[in-house]
Amino acid sequence: MRCDEVRLHLLDYQEGRLRLETQNAVRAHLDGCPDCTRADTVEQELTRLLEQRLPQHPASLALKRRLAARWWEPPAPRSWWSRRRASLSPVLAVAAVVLVAAPVVYYERAASRAAREQTAMVAEAVNDHLRLLASPRPLDVESGGLHQVKPWFAGRLDFAPVVTFEGDADFPLKGGSVGYFRDRKAAVFVYARRLHPISLLVFRADGLSWPSRSLTRVNDVEASVAAERGFNVIVWRRGELGYALVSDVDAGELKAFAARLTPAP
Amino acid sequence: MLSWACGERDTVGVSTLANQALAYVDVLHNLARYLTGNETDAEDLVQETYARALRAEHQFTPGTNLKAWLFRILRNTFVSSYRRRRNDPTVGGLDTVAAETEAPAPSDWLLGDVELDRLRKVVADEIEAALMTLSEESRTVILLDLEGLTEVEVADVVGCAVGTVKSRLARARAALRQKLKDYAR
Repeated sequence: MRCDEVRLHLLDYQEGRLRLETQNAVRAHLDGCPDCTRADTVEQELTRLLEQRLPQHPASLALKRRLAARWWEPPAPRSWWSRRRASLSPVLAVAAVVLVAAPVVYYERAASRAAREQTAMVAEAVNDHLRLLASPRPLDVESGGLHQVKPWFAGRLDFAPVVTFEGDADFPLKGGSVGYFRDRKAAVFVYARRLHPISLLVFRADGLSWPSRSLTRVNDVEASVAAERGFNVIVWRRGELGYALVSDVDAGELKAFAARLTPAP
Repeated sequence: MLSWACGERDTVGVSTLANQALAYVDVLHNLARYLTGNETDAEDLVQETYARALRAEHQFTPGTNLKAWLFRILRNTFVSSYRRRRNDPTVGGLDTVAAETEAPAPSDWLLGDVELDRLRKVVADEIEAALMTLSEESRTVILLDLEGLTEVEVADVVGCAVGTVKSRLARARAALRQKLKDYAR
């Protein structure tokens, strides 16, 4: 076997992808050829560099969540903004600094930010609901009643979920699992209305921007009611815990269910 | 077990293939990042890849390599997008190095012991920078080979003969060695 033939086979030789007779021929050539042996060493070193030191760029958590929640929807064509934001970002950043100096604009920005955070909270709840439905094993514990599901969370969360509704004929409790809401663990109680699943996420409320406008009273709590991607969402805070209720059932039925979860004292 | 959550395409529109495909999002994003050179375009490319994969779901042959199939869609999406950009005078090209021109002369095949020692000290950023100087075609074959695809699968992804993959990979790695030799000085 000539040197140029051996060089072409070196990578396959190292990977063991050659037929036995070719593998043996390359090995025999390397035993007697210092130049090709050096080439083999260099190839091995390059492979090692690539495998061990080439930076990897895994997908961001945000992208994974977007894909998990929406990837079956055809993406919208790239907007003018998304195509040019890289080049315009420095200019816009300077403009934003100037604008923040104006109190009136500041107030508007604050209101806008609150609206965005509220939207983000609703989107997160829907994504969590979809992740649960898409999971091959949506329930970590299947329901034998609330007194079986609630104790199951002990030791799995850094808080005790306060839920008193045991389910009934209209809204049976199916089970529970541990999920995530934003940056924190959540207890997920899964109820149902006929064939429609209803997710109730319970999580620590601290550090989140809670909706303060356009609230709807449900028994003794002020709740934010919204709809996104065909799902109805009700979010509220009670003491140190936050609650997010998500389902594709009718908004009126979901409110009726929320009323069962928030009994008047 | 809840019946709505598993099996065939169900009430939330998520198929079994979709769930399997989502497991490859990290490796797809990695290739996208090295093809586009920036995070924003890489995320767009991955999202478009998944959208196209879903539309072409019926074309996937069960039992074949799903990862390779997704890589092919991603690469085709990138190439078509790149061609559109190249025809757009307002957008700069992503890649201007022809693969055929980047391979070193045969005498560059070998490195001396000192140079080999230097190569061993190359850091991560330098390897990434060197890789990014190569043509899109060269980056692709190097990364797909690293991902463990066979030459047959790489040939399917990039749309060429198996023998061509072998020679392209050899040229690409030779060009990378040459670049790294420069970085290691």
